Amino acid sequence: MRPSRRDFVTWVAASGIMLAMSRIGAARAAGFDASQTLPGPAAFRLPGATAGRIDALAKVTGAKLYASDFRAADMEGWPATTAHALLLRAADATHVFTGLDLSALDAGARPTQVVTAQDLERAGVRVPPFYAGDLLCPAGKTPLYLGQPLALLLFETFDAYDRARAILREKAPARFGAETGPVAEPNYAALRFTRVAGDAPGVPDVYSPLIEGWISPGVFEPGGRPVWQPLPTSEGGQYKKGAIHGEAIRAFIAAGAPDMLVLDRRFRTQSVDPMFLEPEGGLAWYDPQAKALRMVLGVQSPLEASEELAHLLGAAAAGFRPERIESHFAHLGGGFGGRDHTPFPFYVALAAMFLPGHPIRLAHDRFQQFQGGIKRHAFDMHTQVAFERATGRMRAFAADHVLDGGGLANYSASVAAVSATSAIGIYDVPKVDVTTLAEHTRGVTAGSMRGYGVLQTTTALETLVDEAAQALSMDPITLRRRNLLKAGGLTMTGNPWTVSIRTPEILDKLEGHALWRGRDEARKAAPAGSLVGTGVAVCAKDYGTGADCSLGRVEVDPQGHIRIFCDAVEMGNGIGTAVANRVAGLLGRRADAVSVARIDAFDELGLVTSGDPYTLTQAEQDAAARNPRWVPAISSATSASIGAHVGTQAAAEAARLIFRFGLWPAALSLWGIAQDDPRRFLWQEAFWFDGALILSGLPPLQQEKVAARAHEMGGLTGAMAHAFSRWAWAQAAFPLDGFEWVVDLDALAVRRGGGAFKVLDRSFIAFPPASYNRIGTSFTSSCGTLVKVEIEKASGAVRVSRAYSVLECGEVLTPEVVVGQAQGGFAMGLGYALLETLPPFEDGPGNGRWNLGDYVVARGSDLPLHALEVEVLPRVAPNEPPKGMAEVVMIPVVPAILNAIHDATGHRFRALPVTPDDVRRVL
Amino acid sequence: MPPVSLTINGRSHGPIEVREGLSMNDFLREVLGMTGTKFGCGAAQCLSCAVIVDHADGTSSTTPTCIASATDFNTLAIRTVEGHAKSGELTPLQKSFVAHFAFQCGYCTPGFLNEGQVLLERLERSPIPRADLERTIAEALDGHLCRCSGYVKYHQAVRDVVLADPKRFLT
Repeated sequence: MRPSRRDFVTWVAASGIMLAMSRIGAARAAGFDASQTLPGPAAFRLPGATAGRIDALAKVTGAKLYASDFRAADMEGWPATTAHALLLRAADATHVFTGLDLSALDAGARPTQVVTAQDLERAGVRVPPFYAGDLLCPAGKTPLYLGQPLALLLFETFDAYDRARAILREKAPARFGAETGPVAEPNYAALRFTRVAGDAPGVPDVYSPLIEGWISPGVFEPGGRPVWQPLPTSEGGQYKKGAIHGEAIRAFIAAGAPDMLVLDRRFRTQSVDPMFLEPEGGLAWYDPQAKALRMVLGVQSPLEASEELAHLLGAAAAGFRPERIESHFAHLGGGFGGRDHTPFPFYVALAAMFLPGHPIRLAHDRFQQFQGGIKRHAFDMHTQVAFERATGRMRAFAADHVLDGGGLANYSASVAAVSATSAIGIYDVPKVDVTTLAEHTRGVTAGSMRGYGVLQTTTALETLVDEAAQALSMDPITLRRRNLLKAGGLTMTGNPWTVSIRTPEILDKLEGHALWRGRDEARKAAPAGSLVGTGVAVCAKDYGTGADCSLGRVEVDPQGHIRIFCDAVEMGNGIGTAVANRVAGLLGRRADAVSVARIDAFDELGLVTSGDPYTLTQAEQDAAARNPRWVPAISSATSASIGAHVGTQAAAEAARLIFRFGLWPAALSLWGIAQDDPRRFLWQEAFWFDGALILSGLPPLQQEKVAARAHEMGGLTGAMAHAFSRWAWAQAAFPLDGFEWVVDLDALAVRRGGGAFKVLDRSFIAFPPASYNRIGTSFTSSCGTLVKVEIEKASGAVRVSRAYSVLECGEVLTPEVVVGQAQGGFAMGLGYALLETLPPFEDGPGNGRWNLGDYVVARGSDLPLHALEVEVLPRVAPNEPPKGMAEVVMIPVVPAILNAIHDATGHRFRALPVTPDDVRRVL
Repeated sequence: MPPVSLTINGRSHGPIEVREGLSMNDFLREVLGMTGTKFGCGAAQCLSCAVIVDHADGTSSTTPTCIASATDFNTLAIRTVEGHAKSGELTPLQKSFVAHFAFQCGYCTPGFLNEGQVLLERLERSPIPRADLERTIAEALDGHLCRCSGYVKYHQAVRDVVLADPKRFLT
């Protein structure tokens, strides 16, 4: 169902509600769009190399940019006054919630309306399956988890809201009755990953997830824990085969043959908060006359949020079901995964639907953000590894992971799978068996966060490898080198990595660094009262999710100005700058306008999708692909380090086409190159320099002249593209100027001259096979870190005094952003290792009393600000594409610090964070 | 409801009647619509809400707005992130932040900008030895939290403004 009105830029029919991802009439959103289109007004522009990030000027002048900056008065066409909503949450998840007592609120602080679970039921609100669980805990039930929302209080004035929140902070309004204990719910996932390699190099695997599929035991103890042994039950059918191999691996390790060093260790990591600096906030207005719900949101997953909002209200009663939803997506004040698939937009929407006609704002304060925001999973890990004493080779690896998923499923199953399939890190191990269990608990919901489980498992692994090196009397880097997974080697899911593998070079860099070479002298030269140690760790981190999409639209005007739209979200990751830089390399000029988080600007593609890209069969994919508008998925969350690799892909391919079929023919015309001149095929030899197109032997052409000629000739001046990756890009052919042109895209519309965009039917399509869904990951980037610590004996305080990180990420689109991500990742890693922790359950953030006074994140004084060296390896080839790197840079920091502490103290810590008290106790 | 009059970025505001207990942060963001000053924690721990207060003696300091009452700012002159650039010209510190890619999400930038500016003005009045520069910057900025950047580029950006004009800031 698609509307024909031209002023709706994009519509997606979902749940019978029209989703206008943007604008009903351009004027109404003009102000908001302008605020999000950067670099913004020319008044502050800086020239050339000092121009910085695309969003720099807006951010350094305090422009309205974030969702939390917008009020109704900022939105053209909206009523001027903003109402305010307060979301009350449960600080108790072991007693029956009996209701609210708001008697502490005097007349000036009373809400206009109180929305409870009963009201949601009356309104016919549906909970999207991904968020299954009561949106508001009904009276009479025990809250499912700490921090579960109980009620929305709606206030027509800021003063009433402000007074109420102050009063209710002192006098909690939730009342609880009988003790029930925590609510029991099924766990979120139980998976087993087992691989048995062939008995010689090149011999096919005996068993692997790629061959056999992913398996889950299907049999559970009465308490909900899975039974991992291969029981002869019908539920265990497919599972049994893998489990038999897995148990054999465990038996081999347990046998402890004399030629094997066996390490059997447990490691525990804590829950932490993403602590993005802008608490979640949003603005919404339900216009009852137009029956339109209009929203301003800040999320990492715009399309998902829009579709889930439609599901939420799609079956609601009259008055609660908008005919359309118009969503505007703002820049984010940090994300780190915590705004990917967050339920927060639901409450913004509900506030508006229950106070129709009033624009209303819902914004967390920091206490509420701790109480309700997505957290990192706490892990308990049990690892057993057998190293061959003579060679140091890892012969067998077994591990059992238990994740605390908190109250809602969210991404727990995915984090469990990613962390399990990354459990052997950068190494080649022929026999691997890993079980992983994501548990439901009454804790605050855990989900996506930078590192995505790999942080936890790599910390356990890299400290264990360090311990093995010591036990084997081997150099830690030598031991790592002997076990490296090499190009063509198979990961524990049975597939190879299909990108460059740079870990050998990274180990070389680490080994040659003065920090490493001088570690013994540094330890011996520790000042009186101090201990000094140096640690190393290396990590590979997947980027991408196995079903990643990119939407990009690039336009060049007759003056050569470039305008870019993309669906990726800017949360500090520099995506706007990265896409501008990647396009600039192809079109000769940095973009004059970049608009991110746009899922509304691609209507002409007419994309349709069906099924789940992760689970569809090959037959289903083949059948669906016959429709030239079908793609496996339309838009992805900005997550999983996909910014550079995926987020820029569609715009880059669009720009490449504009060059080939627009600017290049224009340049040939300007140069006067005839049709029969073979130089017309040298388009790949031409390059841009200082705003001019260069081809050897011909006069340079200014970019704006080329653009003008392209418009005069009716050449290709705009392209709108969609790309899809399942560990490989979908590839399609499109008819262009007499060619069947193959690109790493699956949908394309083009504009000629100043005309309108017209979609092209693909004449050939090759989607990556559905079997690739069995791959754990095939895209990885790697990073190694050296850390020197100084420990004050008297206090146990650990100070990181010097560090070095070396990473690789293919093409570096914005060097300053890459280095900045590495520095920021170092700070976050240091905080995770030494500072940050959230206790589970009643003492944790769900109690609503946590703020930055208690939760300690790294400050400048915690870091080696002038002794943190970051090195980025050059790409292996001129055409190596960008790789994701924002997560991998954080991960080795943590085990490197722990290994450095061991080097200094002789003690191995196996629980995080390591506090001064912990250190003092072992000295 | 007491009235509040103050000067923000050189412009007089008020008298405006405000409710007792209204925070200065909410006064700026909700009453005046000046959202350049951010709200981060509400506990004066992150200082993304810090503004510059210009004192009568010609000195300046930063102060958090999230735990301060709007009435506490009556008669004061303050500066916010919106007021640094003049007539389309960024300050040297703003330019340095941009050139260094000092920030990522940018939510903490107003606080760092204000703190760095106060420091530069202090050094201009009371220059310090070159050897003390990094420590002085570190002490000045340490109250400000940044979750993205790792702080390195912020410190480099402030330092490079000083080093670009050493006679102005250093003894």
